[in-house]
Amino acid sequence: MLRGRLGRRRSSRLRPATNRLGPLAGLVGQPRRLLAVAGVVAVVGLFVRLELQQAVVIGLVGGAAYGLLALGLVLIYKSSGVFNFAQAEFGTVAVYALYVLKGPLGYPLALVGALLAAVLMGLVVERLIVRPLFDSPRVTLLVATAGVALMAIGLQFWIGEAKLRRIEPALSRPDRIAVLRQNVSDQQLLLVAALLALGVLLALFFSRTNLGLAILGASQEPVATELAGISVRRLSSFTWALAALLGGVAGVLFAPISGTFGPGELTRGLLIPAFTAAVLGGMTSLPGAFVGGTLVGVAQAGAISYKGLEALPGKGTVIVFLLLITVLTLRPQGLLGSRA
Amino acid sequence: MTVAGPRVDLDQAEAAAEARAAAVEAEVVEKAKAEAYEAPFKPSPIGWFFRVALAAALVALVLVFPLDRPLSDVRLFSQAAIYAIIGLSLNVLLGYTGQISLGHQAFVGIGSFTSAYLVTVQQWPFAAAVAVAMAVGGLQALVLGGVALRIRGLYFALVTLSYGTVASDSLFGITRFTGGGSGQSAPLPSFAATPHRYYYFCLLVLAVVIWVDYRMMQTKGGRALLALRENPRVASTFGIDVKAYTLFAFVVAGVFAGLGGALLAHKNEVVQAQDYNFQLALIFVIMTVVGGLRSRSGVVIGSAFFALLSSGYLIEKAKVETLFRFLADNTFIPFLSKEVAALVLGPLLLLLTLTLYPGGIGQQIRPIQRWLAGHRFNLHDRGDKEVQISDVRA
Repeated sequence: MLRGRLGRRRSSRLRPATNRLGPLAGLVGQPRRLLAVAGVVAVVGLFVRLELQQAVVIGLVGGAAYGLLALGLVLIYKSSGVFNFAQAEFGTVAVYALYVLKGPLGYPLALVGALLAAVLMGLVVERLIVRPLFDSPRVTLLVATAGVALMAIGLQFWIGEAKLRRIEPALSRPDRIAVLRQNVSDQQLLLVAALLALGVLLALFFSRTNLGLAILGASQEPVATELAGISVRRLSSFTWALAALLGGVAGVLFAPISGTFGPGELTRGLLIPAFTAAVLGGMTSLPGAFVGGTLVGVAQAGAISYKGLEALPGKGTVIVFLLLITVLTLRPQGLLGSRA
Repeated sequence: MTVAGPRVDLDQAEAAAEARAAAVEAEVVEKAKAEAYEAPFKPSPIGWFFRVALAAALVALVLVFPLDRPLSDVRLFSQAAIYAIIGLSLNVLLGYTGQISLGHQAFVGIGSFTSAYLVTVQQWPFAAAVAVAMAVGGLQALVLGGVALRIRGLYFALVTLSYGTVASDSLFGITRFTGGGSGQSAPLPSFAATPHRYYYFCLLVLAVVIWVDYRMMQTKGGRALLALRENPRVASTFGIDVKAYTLFAFVVAGVFAGLGGALLAHKNEVVQAQDYNFQLALIFVIMTVVGGLRSRSGVVIGSAFFALLSSGYLIEKAKVETLFRFLADNTFIPFLSKEVAALVLGPLLLLLTLTLYPGGIGQQIRPIQRWLAGHRFNLHDRGDKEVQISDVRA
């Protein structure tokens, strides 16, 4: 019964307005989609013009990691309205668990163990930090998640010491295919495939299952959802576990690409691009996180390999900052988000 | 107005009025009695003695104790005073306007490098370099705030975080400005050429910052800040320009941070880019929140505590390192070195503060403060201020 109700409400909300544009309505009626497509085409065109084709490929792969993290950020923001600054630490914890477990258990089982470790961390964070602060303002929770991130980094420095460790990829072949003369390794393909698969699964989960609809309902009308007999708090732990799983997947698939990892590395390298990706996508849109991750990844790779910028240190960070500022000033609702 | 009522009625009215007057009189007398009974509490001479003794002990701890300490310790005490300035800078932003800056290491670091560059490379006098560092701090806050304050709350935190990493990855990587990997040297000023003198100079600057902060909160702008933190929408209906005042607070925070950065540079006598990282920004936020938002004494104590904790001084003096070594040798717990201790204990204290003691240190020391000011000691006396982190609004 609940599913029917929630489903009806959603469909009535999303029903397009009567159009007077005939066949063009499909495109014009969806300006967001048009804008996204135009943006991607413009960026790719610019890159080809500047002879940065390889950067597109590198950026797509890097963008997959941002997209995966951004999916988790969007999930938590949708369900509890929190900016989760500990999202990348779910990944780092998973990588550490993978590093410890792959000796005794073998790589495939260690991967499962690593993801379980990330999920466990998500549940603990939700129970000990998020739930006691359930009714407090969002900025308080933001400070708290930043504290969780620093605590995880501190624990890694404490237990893991301040040194880089080697981690080999799950699949080792470095040159499976060549796209635009850029070799793509198995691990990178796996990362992109994981993003696509998880994106589709999440979309199905939110549109087809009772649980997914309940989470959407809880994010839009928590009181009404409680009245319908659904425990919003229990949904909250489920969402955090799911987001931690996504963070863990991003970690165990991305970290081995560079071959080494150290304390807090993913927070340093991935968190801000992932947030920028989520903001670009509109902060509440799962496809938006996907598109945003791709855009941020490609823009970053382009800036790093563009020859005119060689004198500037930290180009990758600067371009992400500029993207963030630009989106927030010109289009704060993001590319695919709806205006609040 | 003439009312020709019967005489009996007039009599009754007179009697009623008299009764009322008597009642009012009785009330006044009773109130006076009650006031006399609850006369403002005055400590006895012995009470005053203990209060003055405690105050003198605190002053001695700050002023006299460092006199015969080794130079390396005195440098750490200077760092504690400078962190207090930085904590007060964040307090302006986080405590008074409810906006959080996760990129404060950028403001502090740019202040450090500006002052070091001007003194070492351009041979400027110390005072002028510090003044420029403060101006630069205010200016970048003005520019960044002009853009970022269009979006308040969570997005503001995100923009400052991103700005902080831009500073550490890019700006601090410009070799001509920062001196590359070995860092930019920043000598002690000639009027305070020893670490001891520099420590007292830092204390003086901290006192000035506290005074400026106190005076600022007494002005119209300060009251406006408090009002808009409570509720920006209500404040704007009272004619408070929310954006302008938030920007004003951000600029003040930037100036304080630039000042703290400049002092920090000359304390170390060298500035290195790798010291200004994301962890430092989080330590700054933690020390302010744990200190207690809007409590100047709490923020100063919290900042000093974290300065001494993160430099390893407290761990060393409390002799807990032997305990950690013992645990590491005999249990599975790995050795907690003094460099890492702040990264582990800081977030723990932050999370405890947020979930259990939202007022931080400021709230905990409030009874002692009230007692020192000549009130009766009351453990549950939170004063007139109800301090809550939940006042920080998105």
